Amino acid sequence: MILQAISFYAFAAVTVAAAVMVISARNPVHSVLFLILAFFNAAGLFVLMGAEFIAMILVIVYVGAVAVLFLFVVMMLDINFVELRQGFLQYLPIGALVGLVLLAELVLILGSWAIAPDTASRAAAPTPAITETTNTHAIGQVLYTDYIYLFQAAGLILLIAMIGAIVLTLRSREGVKRQRISDQVGRTREESVEVRHVEPGSGV
Amino acid sequence: MIEIGLSHYLTVAAILFTLGVFGIFLNRKNVIIILMSVELILLAVNINLVAFSIHLNDLAGQVFALLILAIAAAEAAIGLAVIVVYFRNRGSIAVEDINLMKG
Amino acid sequence: MITTADIYPVLPELFLAVAAMALLMYGVFRGDKSTGSCSWLAVLALIVTGVIMSLLPENAESAFRGQFVVDQFARFMKWLVLLGSALAVVMSMNYNAREQIERFEFPVLILFASLGMLLMVSANDLISLYVGLELQSLALYVIAAFRRDSTKSSEAGLKYFVLGALSSGMLLYGASMIYGFAGTTRFDALAALFTGPSADPGVGVVVGLVFLLAGLAFKVSAVPFHMWTPDVYEGAPTPVTAFFAVAPKIAAIALLVRTMVGPFGELFAQWQQIIVFISIASMLLGALAAIWQTNIKRLLAYSSIGHIGYALVGLAAGSEEGIRGIGVYMAIYLAMNVGTFCCVLSMRRQGVLAEGIDDLAGLARNHPMMAAAMAIFMFSMAGIPPLAGFFGKLYVFMAAVNEGLYVLAIIGVLTSVIGAFYYLRIVKIMYFDEPADAFDRTAGREIGAIMAVAGMFTLLFFVFPSPIVEGAGQAAAVLFASG
Repeated sequence: MILQAISFYAFAAVTVAAAVMVISARNPVHSVLFLILAFFNAAGLFVLMGAEFIAMILVIVYVGAVAVLFLFVVMMLDINFVELRQGFLQYLPIGALVGLVLLAELVLILGSWAIAPDTASRAAAPTPAITETTNTHAIGQVLYTDYIYLFQAAGLILLIAMIGAIVLTLRSREGVKRQRISDQVGRTREESVEVRHVEPGSGV
Repeated sequence: MIEIGLSHYLTVAAILFTLGVFGIFLNRKNVIIILMSVELILLAVNINLVAFSIHLNDLAGQVFALLILAIAAAEAAIGLAVIVVYFRNRGSIAVEDINLMKG
Repeated sequence: MITTADIYPVLPELFLAVAAMALLMYGVFRGDKSTGSCSWLAVLALIVTGVIMSLLPENAESAFRGQFVVDQFARFMKWLVLLGSALAVVMSMNYNAREQIERFEFPVLILFASLGMLLMVSANDLISLYVGLELQSLALYVIAAFRRDSTKSSEAGLKYFVLGALSSGMLLYGASMIYGFAGTTRFDALAALFTGPSADPGVGVVVGLVFLLAGLAFKVSAVPFHMWTPDVYEGAPTPVTAFFAVAPKIAAIALLVRTMVGPFGELFAQWQQIIVFISIASMLLGALAAIWQTNIKRLLAYSSIGHIGYALVGLAAGSEEGIRGIGVYMAIYLAMNVGTFCCVLSMRRQGVLAEGIDDLAGLARNHPMMAAAMAIFMFSMAGIPPLAGFFGKLYVFMAAVNEGLYVLAIIGVLTSVIGAFYYLRIVKIMYFDEPADAFDRTAGREIGAIMAVAGMFTLLFFVFPSPIVEGAGQAAAVLFASG
């Protein structure tokens, strides 16, 4: 029990601290790295709760793909970050005030959580006991059956993302030299080799 | 304090959500940080959903979280593509620069 | 498990998804020279989707364990969405070719966006609501920035994306709270939970609902979540603006209505004040801010904010009559907006699209037919009888009065009068100002035909109102029959 509590507080503290750094770091590259740290620790929280699959997906998809994409874009674009920092403190007091009020309200509301009456009867996909199946197995059993409609729709969304990224950013540039394998293979001896007789002592 | 219950996780999620909203107001000029703040908000949502899912003994919440992860990845890809396009046109990503159109 | 009972209700959506993917393959193999045929095939796909939908039995059905529902309400709204999307594709062809942004991905993305809208209209679960919404939004972010070498267009895409992503985050946080406190994401289970004398929604659900409403209000661009609308409308290419103004608005309104009336119908007392506030604020802003605009696309953006305010009057009434009013209003809104955007697309001078309101000066002398059509749309938007726009407003205001919302109805009438000022100013500029140079006559026959049909519909709606009004009536009835 005590071990669980210690782990929770460690993961939660690092997640929150990393999130603070994400929004306040001077350099966006640092922001991205702190974002990755926040995701890792959130994955730790998921493992603590018993949702291993989501935890692993968070690491693989978020850290592996999304955060790296962010890093890539931040480094690719040559941005003057000092300029972007101007006016940073301008909204700090009012923002902090609004944020604290929002947080207090949310915590108060969420603190009032109690299991709603006869929840079990409304559960769309009751979790099987851990002794029967693992978390990953249980998700797999509902994802491709009960939630196939949403699963397919999510696939279409990924397709749109692919089309969109290509439509927006792919450019066919002029003057770029590309390898043309058919031309290379199609070369004949006549057009590529020339035999010359060189007189001794005169050079080519 | 030693007994870790649902409310602990929900509090972490609420803090992350607030930080995300706060970050958007704080970094009004930097679109990339704004996008990261949105990712923080989505992380908060996922923590909420998984925590509720575990405590309600219902897998629907975890499936929801899974779909949000997939869709948020797609959203980030589109968002970064739009940022790249904008940068190519303007040579900057400052949001306050975005004032060709006002009013 | 998937059964045939699951497949039948989603057959139109299934067809549209397969058609969009097939069209994508076709375009990829044929290259950008196939854009014209791709566009017409996209229009055909949208029409066939509508035909399949009308061939299926007309009863209410749900599929995939209640995640997807199709009923008269969904059918009515889907018809409007499909019509709006098909017209937008037709309107885009000539423009895209002239501006040299002719790419086959454009109709494909519109098809995917329309698919997302169909899923939104049929959403019967918080998860399918989110998935449908994102399917639509992601496609829209891309086509807002479609003219990628234009600063304005990419700026429009960026603004739309940033605010859209934020609103999705809000919506999701609300959805997670509703899920946690109610224990379910399914609309029918939620409705059952809040029904009955002892049902207590609890503060968590209400706060979640507020977050959810904020996210949805962004999607319909209602005040106070409207700030993206004028910029995106002005910056996006004009046919894209025409598309944004019609189909996504209708789908988002349909989603809002189904979410509020369906699962949260019993919480009417909690959300009514919010809707009343949003509605009044949108009507006021739409009427007042439009007065100072000089760009016709920006003016139409504020006008659409105002129209959403009027439509929400019907939702604030919360009665079957009010929802019928929304149905009628959105159908008329579709015709008026499509027609107006056809006029805007015809405003081309020496090959450059004119967007200023002053560019319309003396239009009546150079292009009498176009000026007449534009005048009809402007009078209709102002709500002057006997044009269609008047009846749209009449139905929602009557519903509000019958529910005792006199203040709301009075504010609605007052803002209509203020709004009439700027609509009539356009008519005055067209008919009484010194003529500017004539526009090029290159808009294409399709644009002229759409303009004429929309104009006839707007003008003659009062003669044959019954198909629309009855359709909307059946649509509204089914929402209240199921509870």
